[in-house]
Amino acid sequence: MANALRLYLSCIRNTLEAAMCLQNFPCQEVERHNKPEVELKTSSELILNPILICRNESEKCLIETSINSLRISLKVKQTDELENILTKKFLRFLSMRAEAFQVLRRKPVQGYDISFLITNYHCEELQKQKLIDFIVQFMEDIDKEISELKMSVNTRGRLVATEFLKQFI
Amino acid sequence: MILLQSHSRFLLQTLLNRVQNLEKAVEVDYNWVEFDDVRYHVQVSMKNPHLFLLSVSLPIPSADTVFCGGLPSGAIEAIKAAYGVLVQILDPPRDGFNLTLKLNLSKLPHDEDNRHTTLVKVASIREVVLGAPLRVILKQLGSRIIGSDVNRLVALVHRPKESFFLVPQAEKVIVVYPMRFKDSIDIALATSFLQEFVEARRSSGLNSAPPCSWSPSPPQELKGAPNDALSANAGFVTFVIFPRHVEGKKIDRVIWSLSTFHAYVSYHVKCSEGFMHTRMRRRVESLIQALDRAKPDVIDTGKKANSRSFKRLDSDGNAG
Repeated sequence: MANALRLYLSCIRNTLEAAMCLQNFPCQEVERHNKPEVELKTSSELILNPILICRNESEKCLIETSINSLRISLKVKQTDELENILTKKFLRFLSMRAEAFQVLRRKPVQGYDISFLITNYHCEELQKQKLIDFIVQFMEDIDKEISELKMSVNTRGRLVATEFLKQFI
Repeated sequence: MILLQSHSRFLLQTLLNRVQNLEKAVEVDYNWVEFDDVRYHVQVSMKNPHLFLLSVSLPIPSADTVFCGGLPSGAIEAIKAAYGVLVQILDPPRDGFNLTLKLNLSKLPHDEDNRHTTLVKVASIREVVLGAPLRVILKQLGSRIIGSDVNRLVALVHRPKESFFLVPQAEKVIVVYPMRFKDSIDIALATSFLQEFVEARRSSGLNSAPPCSWSPSPPQELKGAPNDALSANAGFVTFVIFPRHVEGKKIDRVIWSLSTFHAYVSYHVKCSEGFMHTRMRRRVESLIQALDRAKPDVIDTGKKANSRSFKRLDSDGNAG
């Protein structure tokens, strides 16, 4: 299991390394504008083929690239109702703090749970290797956090139930 | 605090304060609200500092719960049995309240311990009043008297416009709670909590605890219940109480925990949400740190030479 996760993450890491090759590119339609092409999709020659990396049906990662920007969308596994709620809550919590993260997109791409938007400016400001490290760590952390949250809810539930039932003995 | 306490802490504090300064005449007029829409009002006047007026307002009952004279059945008898000569029930109660009691503080027992227990008992007025019908039924179960209402569904109010249900039988009492929550997160958490109740009951230490079950659809016992009681977004919990669960002193604790079961679950749902938020905040911080590591080190540009933004002047006016 842990091995499969490592393969999934290293595949994403390699893809990102290849994809994160961005350059400054002004908008072709509007003079003096400089926009992330992957969001606007104005001209098809600036967009590269999107790459979809799947671990299984519920866990996948979509990497869309253009000349000056890169969009990474993640879908996190949710096996039951509780995990679903926890994931939603946690990722909403993160998206609301997107300002602090710079590369986080405020809204996920449709069909995914959370998205990053990396532009050439981010690549200039931040070290590319460390940025990739961050994305991979982010994915690991989300999985870990959700399973820990779930465990803590269950432990608490058990404790609460035991204390309540103890009163009858 | 895992279990909810049956006395209202603020009421107990007010009473203790009052009793300690009995000779000092002060005006007291407090209003406050507790969980499940129970409101309290206390009043002490300058003229009679030893008289303590306590009014309680209960949650509005749903249509199927019977309140006689604004109180659950058997409440008046329960108050008389619990407090004796200490209190006098005023009729009619204060405007907007279900019950007003006049406490005569000079009639409190004189030794310290006894007095404290009595005051705690007064502060648990909510348990006495709201738990009165439950107490009658559980007492009958404890002494194995077969009451008149065997197998009849009894609805008891525990939240505004919501009831839980009892089915008294010869050897047991079945308690059914329709669990409703407003928020979708609350529902998911509560559902997993309630399933833990069923799981916990199976563990070896709790073999003699009341059997507990949870189902998303109304159980058989609720057949005769009105339709609006049959919808619950977090399912239905059923406890089966046997005579051994209400023996002796345990009965008080059992009454309190049964009548506040929903509040108990809801309290812990909120607690775990708070805990989750703390965790998530911490996680966000650690992720931001990870991102900060990606920033190349900013080179200090001779800041140290001129780190003070202003220069101190000594007494002559020269820069020091």
